[in-house]
Amino acid sequence: MEPSISQQTSPGLAEPVKPPKSQSPWALARRKFLRNKAAMISLVFLLLVCVMSILAEPLTMPVEETAKINLTQMSKEPSADHYFGTDKSGRDVFARTLHGGKTSLLLAFSITLAVITIGTLVGATAGYFGGWVDNALMRFTDFMMNFPFLLFVIVLKSIFIESSTGTLIFVISVLSWTGTARLVRSKVMAEKENEYIMSAVSIGCSAPKTIFKHLLPNVMSTIIVQATITLAAMIVAETGLSFLGFGVPINIPTWGNMLQEARSPDVLTSKWWIWIPPAAILTFTILSINFIGEGLKDAFNPKSNR
Amino acid sequence: MLQYTIRRLIGMIPIIFLISVVVFTLAKLMPGDALSGKIDPLNSDPEYIEEMREQMGLNDPIPVQYVRWMSGVVQGDFGDSFVHKRPVMELIGDRLPNTIILGISALLITYLLAFLMGRYSGRFAYSIGDYLISAFNYLALAIPSFVAALVAIYVFAINLGWVPASGSIGSGVEAGTLEYYLSKAKHTVLPAIVLGAMATAAYTQFLRNDMIESSRKDYVRTARAKGTKESAIYNKHILRNSIIPIVTLLGFDIANLFGGAIITETIFTYPGIGYLFVESVNSRDYSVMMAIAMMLTILTLIGNLVADLLYGLVDPRIRLS
Repeated sequence: MEPSISQQTSPGLAEPVKPPKSQSPWALARRKFLRNKAAMISLVFLLLVCVMSILAEPLTMPVEETAKINLTQMSKEPSADHYFGTDKSGRDVFARTLHGGKTSLLLAFSITLAVITIGTLVGATAGYFGGWVDNALMRFTDFMMNFPFLLFVIVLKSIFIESSTGTLIFVISVLSWTGTARLVRSKVMAEKENEYIMSAVSIGCSAPKTIFKHLLPNVMSTIIVQATITLAAMIVAETGLSFLGFGVPINIPTWGNMLQEARSPDVLTSKWWIWIPPAAILTFTILSINFIGEGLKDAFNPKSNR
Repeated sequence: MLQYTIRRLIGMIPIIFLISVVVFTLAKLMPGDALSGKIDPLNSDPEYIEEMREQMGLNDPIPVQYVRWMSGVVQGDFGDSFVHKRPVMELIGDRLPNTIILGISALLITYLLAFLMGRYSGRFAYSIGDYLISAFNYLALAIPSFVAALVAIYVFAINLGWVPASGSIGSGVEAGTLEYYLSKAKHTVLPAIVLGAMATAAYTQFLRNDMIESSRKDYVRTARAKGTKESAIYNKHILRNSIIPIVTLLGFDIANLFGGAIITETIFTYPGIGYLFVESVNSRDYSVMMAIAMMLTILTLIGNLVADLLYGLVDPRIRLS
């Protein structure tokens, strides 16, 4: 990676002239990312959605309030009292959208964290050690890949009848780490051929230390991009499952549970304000995550010079 | 190639065996059993229930029950559905054609749209049309299928009234008549478009990038130097080379389509395999659930094999061994 090349491609950036100092790959990636308009707008939007969801309670009402059925306020159209109107049980759609965002996003982030951790550990172990370890782990990964995701999540979910959101995180994570494991393995296998790994091993670094200190930081860019892809996929998975009734328990507001109301023809036909807000925010959130992922991929790629 | 295929098929047997163990264990772990659907609901005498359990073999050790189930499966007998009171295979046989029609229409729509869009984007890269197509692709990737389905029902079925919103056939339509097929097509078109149009992004992007790459190659320069018409260069020389790699994605699509059908069919209450699966899980109809889970998993295996075989066919440099 020649840092000087990237500096030449960014003449528009009005920075004070500094003595040429080689920038770290991370600094280069950050600068490239900051210059990507689509990714930056998406990042701002995503942060806004996250902050509004976290502040759902001070902004609107406590989560217990959103569950209360209010017969005098049934199916009200959007007004000054209820920005997004109320649903069929008289619950405020705006408050539920924010609280729903909190649950949906928290779930998606937790699952992503679990998936990336399991996938990285399995992939790095298999790729670093090779031989029978690699063989055993990869056969297992292949085996897990054979199970159609949605189908088995539904089956597993109906086993845990008294399920909380914790089981949902567990069930989805168990079935989704395989892709990450394969990706990390292939990257680690390519990376470990480098001389710095050999020198680390030859000065007596233990295997875990070599993996965590030397190998993983160098495949981190791949893992981060994979994490954004996973995050988007997991938001879809959670909302889709909740929509079908196999996800988060119905009394907890999530975007998927709110959209479930649209399965009744009456809501779908004549009460658009009940389902359009969660549908729109859901779509735009995923769109922005995709743009951020694309931006990161571009920023980490030393060959791209946008 | 034949040898490789046979070896892969034989290699699948232990995997299918392991999968069957997993599926059976999961079904046994699910709460309650299918007894309630089988016995006389008015007779709640514990002795009678016990007798029926014994008769149906639900008191046998789990491994014995597994062997009994598996020996049926090998002969293509998945037992009876407790809810529908019919053999599972018959039930699936009823629903499968619907899913296959839906799946094939969706695939055709995907390929057609991706071909048209990819060809345009590849030839006129960085034009306004190209940007519009890539905007559509970003949106199609971001919208979850169930949201797309809801919007499609809202717009095309409810507001415009072009197509019905649910089911797979109109009521009171006789099988075999022209009316029957028209009604079927009308019911299938909306779910097929939702399922198909949302999947085009990957194909379009693939075709576009491959065409752009090919257009810089030497053989294209040669064709230009000879004075070949630009349209002929794109339609004959470049497209033919770029279209082939796309075929390899077909294998993965087979399994994805059936999986994706679970959500789409449920929203459109389209009586196919996916909807049947959701119904069977909800009503604890284990034999149906296990049969569909086994079928779709085996389908995934076959899809992966098809993908690998197509790779070998398309790219002779890949040696299958």
